[in-house]
Amino acid sequence: MATGALQIAGGRRAGWRKTLDTIPLHLFFIVAGVLWALPAIGLLLTSLRPVDLFTVSGWWTAISHPQELSITNYVHLFDSSLIATSFMNSLLIAVPATVIPVLCATLAAYAFTWLRFPGRTAMLLVLIALMVVPLQMALIPVAGIYGFISPPGIVRVFLFHAAFALPYATFLFRNFFIGIPHELLESARMDGANDARIFRRIILPLAYPAIASFAVFQFLWVWNDLLVGLVFAGSTPPVTVAILQQMRNFGSSVDVISAASFLSLIPPLILFFAFQRYFVQGLLAGSVKG
Amino acid sequence: MSTILPAVTPPVVEAERPSREARAPTPRFNRAAIGFLAPAAIFVGVFIIYPVIATVIRSLFNRTGETFVGLDNYLKVFTDSRTLHAIQNNIIWLLVFPIAVTGFGVLFAVLLERVPYRLVVRTILFTPMAVSLLASGVIWRIMYQQSPETGAMNAVIASVANAITHPGHYQGARPSQPDLIQPAGDGFRLAQTVAPGDVVHLGFIGFPASEIPAGAQDAKDPSAGAGRVVGVVWRDFVPGGGGQVGQVEPGKKGMPDMTVQLVDSKGSVAAQTQSDSAGDFSFPSSGSGPYHVVLPAQNFHPPFGGIQWLGSGLVTPAIILAAIWVWVGFATVTIGAGLATMSRDLLEAARVDGATEWQVFRRVTIPLLSPLLIVVFITLVINVLKIFDLVYTIAPGSVIPDANVIALQLYLVAFTGLGDFGIGSAIAVFLFLLVIPIMAANIRRFQGEG
Amino acid sequence: MNSSRLGRVFSVAVLVSLLAACGTSTSTGSSKPLSGKKVEVAAVWSKDEQKNFEAVLKGFSDKTGATTTFTSTGDQIGTVLGSRIASNSPPDVAILPQPGLLKDLATKGSLKALDSDTANVVSQNYAPVWKDLGTVNGKFYGVFFKAANKSTVWYNVKALKDAGVQPPASMADLTKTLATISASGVKPLSVGGADGWTLTDWFENAYLNIAGRDNYVKLTTHTIKWTDQTVKDTLTALAQVLQDKYVAGGLSGALQTDFPTSVANIAGNPPKAAIVYEGDFVEGTLKDTSHLTPGTDFNFFPFPGATGPSNSVMGGGDVAVRLTDNAAGVELIKYLASPEAAQIWAAKGGFASANKKVDTSVYPDPVAKASAQALANAQNFVFDMSDQAPAAFGGTKGSGEWADLQAWLKNPSNVNAAATQLEKDAAAAYGS
Repeated sequence: MATGALQIAGGRRAGWRKTLDTIPLHLFFIVAGVLWALPAIGLLLTSLRPVDLFTVSGWWTAISHPQELSITNYVHLFDSSLIATSFMNSLLIAVPATVIPVLCATLAAYAFTWLRFPGRTAMLLVLIALMVVPLQMALIPVAGIYGFISPPGIVRVFLFHAAFALPYATFLFRNFFIGIPHELLESARMDGANDARIFRRIILPLAYPAIASFAVFQFLWVWNDLLVGLVFAGSTPPVTVAILQQMRNFGSSVDVISAASFLSLIPPLILFFAFQRYFVQGLLAGSVKG
Repeated sequence: MSTILPAVTPPVVEAERPSREARAPTPRFNRAAIGFLAPAAIFVGVFIIYPVIATVIRSLFNRTGETFVGLDNYLKVFTDSRTLHAIQNNIIWLLVFPIAVTGFGVLFAVLLERVPYRLVVRTILFTPMAVSLLASGVIWRIMYQQSPETGAMNAVIASVANAITHPGHYQGARPSQPDLIQPAGDGFRLAQTVAPGDVVHLGFIGFPASEIPAGAQDAKDPSAGAGRVVGVVWRDFVPGGGGQVGQVEPGKKGMPDMTVQLVDSKGSVAAQTQSDSAGDFSFPSSGSGPYHVVLPAQNFHPPFGGIQWLGSGLVTPAIILAAIWVWVGFATVTIGAGLATMSRDLLEAARVDGATEWQVFRRVTIPLLSPLLIVVFITLVINVLKIFDLVYTIAPGSVIPDANVIALQLYLVAFTGLGDFGIGSAIAVFLFLLVIPIMAANIRRFQGEG
Repeated sequence: MNSSRLGRVFSVAVLVSLLAACGTSTSTGSSKPLSGKKVEVAAVWSKDEQKNFEAVLKGFSDKTGATTTFTSTGDQIGTVLGSRIASNSPPDVAILPQPGLLKDLATKGSLKALDSDTANVVSQNYAPVWKDLGTVNGKFYGVFFKAANKSTVWYNVKALKDAGVQPPASMADLTKTLATISASGVKPLSVGGADGWTLTDWFENAYLNIAGRDNYVKLTTHTIKWTDQTVKDTLTALAQVLQDKYVAGGLSGALQTDFPTSVANIAGNPPKAAIVYEGDFVEGTLKDTSHLTPGTDFNFFPFPGATGPSNSVMGGGDVAVRLTDNAAGVELIKYLASPEAAQIWAAKGGFASANKKVDTSVYPDPVAKASAQALANAQNFVFDMSDQAPAAFGGTKGSGEWADLQAWLKNPSNVNAAATQLEKDAAAAYGS
């Protein structure tokens, strides 16, 4: 990678020192990585153990007793035919709930960064403050609104999620745009471009890393949401609600939760990997000179 | 290269000022703003602002929403010790959580740029949030269990603790006749002194038969040995019940490998022996006594019981630790996105100029990242105010008063039991007002950049 | 690029929603009285209980030709119902887990009263107390479809056999039994103190037996106070039983043990504890999460009486109510009051009915049958006190009765302080 080459170029005068430098780094990451991964590994092992072992022994015993492991918990998840369709529902909810805020928030962030209008700072502060509104409080008032217009369940859910993502998304994009040098817009304006053009041609492409990091987490949060789906999805529930129906009323449902959480980990993880290329440093270094 | 430097260095403010004067004066109200803001404004207005107004109004009414009670609900909120305790906990969270997560995030994001396996580490950091807060809460709840057999944290500590102080053979055992055999430290002692020629009977209960080693036989009442102290130690319980307390009877097994001591009147150990497979023991001829028969603590030492991570004292730090584990991935990835847009050339220039890594970090990286760091930090602060899922999942019902946070209190008041939406709304409004000082503290930052 | 993708997603979303299957529906032929009619039912049940209830709904569809839809709300039934009522689309029928919720909804006017036909069926099939529980302000709103016997104490058969003890009949016997089991090396009791409601059930059973039925009713309505001597006597008696040395994990460990774990403690070889007390749903939990067989591996004995065997049973139930004017809803509730409906689920296990006309031979094993019979034939039946109390006192995690009893469990001999705190919270909640 370009990274490596530049590093070597810069450190040529102290080659062996650089290697010595990086050993602690690697050590750090090995230790940190293992420690950080342990609870997740524990969750994975728990999902592979039958439920009656749960109160008897800890999940680490599975390492020395591999015969205990089985995929029964995963198989049981599909006991209900609802699970398969609910995956589709979750997708139909999570995609619009990610795309809509990206569109609305990048537009709004552009305005907050480079367009002047009265009350700009105040509005921005209020918008950010709205991040604190707990979505439970909005359920009933919004339910009242939905009672009037009656959109289908899936639409109700993703509109709600899209709206609640806007404060954070706008904040994120706005603070990201601040770092983009004014010269770019200046030269574009002098070339005669209007705001819409600047937005589409210049700003949006530059914002891909921010959009990527937002999209990954927004998709994740919506994918894993339970409450909004439970209240609004009706007969087209997302995966989380469908899983709820697998949980016992009185017994511990650790087997269901752990297996379900790993299964539903897959789509957000795919998105995460797909967007990795936007997190590479220096990708956009060239555009600064332009 | 150096021409770029002034344009991209931290004081973006300075970069703006020359430009502002250079170009033609822009109108104070750029009409294009309306178009750009409209979509977001509509969504926010309908889905967030309208409910906020509805909530403020609702907070002025009583539980069922019919009677106007003015600020009564707010009074109830602030005089309720549970809510006050919750606020206290949120403050603890505020002091620890945002700094820790942002700190780790910056650390990981910057360091990861220099290693080829950054995707692996990023994935490890991303997984906690990806498995959902519910699952993360569940696994930490399991890990924090007190029993070292099921709780990972205590299992680790137990393996160390038990290696240091070995658990005794007969944990949990206690005398069947507590008036005859009394506790002495963590062990036991026969109340009456003995002299050579005595036969000692030590009956114990309170432990399962499985603790007795294989090969043990039924207890045998030994015959007195001249000039020696002899005795028997046995499990004074017949499987299936029956039998008399204090009597050596068929069906009652002896307790082998029990260390027995004779302690003289000065307190020093005169003799020590071990019981055999029938629980019998005898001391070699020794002085005339009188002696105390002592069963030292090492026989009964219980294994490490486990720290109560989810007990009143430790539960909040425990949950904060779990929360940090969950959120560092978010900080790392988001800050990583910021690093991606930074010009490599800039950092290289600084390095070539002779700056050390630390100086590059402090003087170039951090300032360039600062807008993004603000986003991450404030988002974390606001999430602390809203923290709910992890506390609800990890804290057992009995320690909720100790682990309580505002959002949980809101949930308990408005959505369970009482269902008092009036008080719930008041708490929500209070949450909203709490954000104001945070915003005020950062106003200068925003105006500086604006 | 983004907007057309959005547009495509949107239209697919709308299309799918329009075509989406409706959860779980059943539909049948056309010549039956309600054919073509639809009715939606919401309840807290999930997983196995949901499957079993859907079998009951199928019985209804087969009989009447109506189409039924079941919606599971998890334990968020209050929120879900609240928001659906607010958006003017409540389910036709809801099955509520507490009479307190029924009272709330009835007083708010969200429920429709049941007709006299149904009322008659209930009067014939159930003991009068069940009809009273479904009545608010003189109007009859709910039928108790599923009931639970909460006076059952569950134990590990082998543990008791090894200790050589028989199930105790009185509280004094219970203390002796616990001492003997403790001597045999097994912790006698498992208590799920992290879940406050288990402690309220302990208290209510003990109180019912020690103070008597009349006082129980008075305490439920807060006609006598929690500082009454009867309450203190009960707490003192319980302190003899709930001793630190008898409880697995000690009292502080018990406060960290949730209900499912406390039940799992008596499974296992060797078990972590010999006895756990809670309602008949323990059987379902054990069958589901362990390999134990009812009768051979685990069994129950009735909650001990004060001085001898008890003749009282404390129990709970789920009540079916109507939220819309749908005629099919009326018929469904009437069906649920019939013995056939109860028998469908009873045969599958994990269900007890208070309906006296149910044929008890359908229960799947002798243990389930015994607990159901004890429930239906109890000489003295009372409903779970904390379920009838205002939810702020008897039904809220971390506050009210639940929290007060948890605080008491830390030091059970401190009876006066506990009683005073209970009275304080009760007075605030009952408003008297």
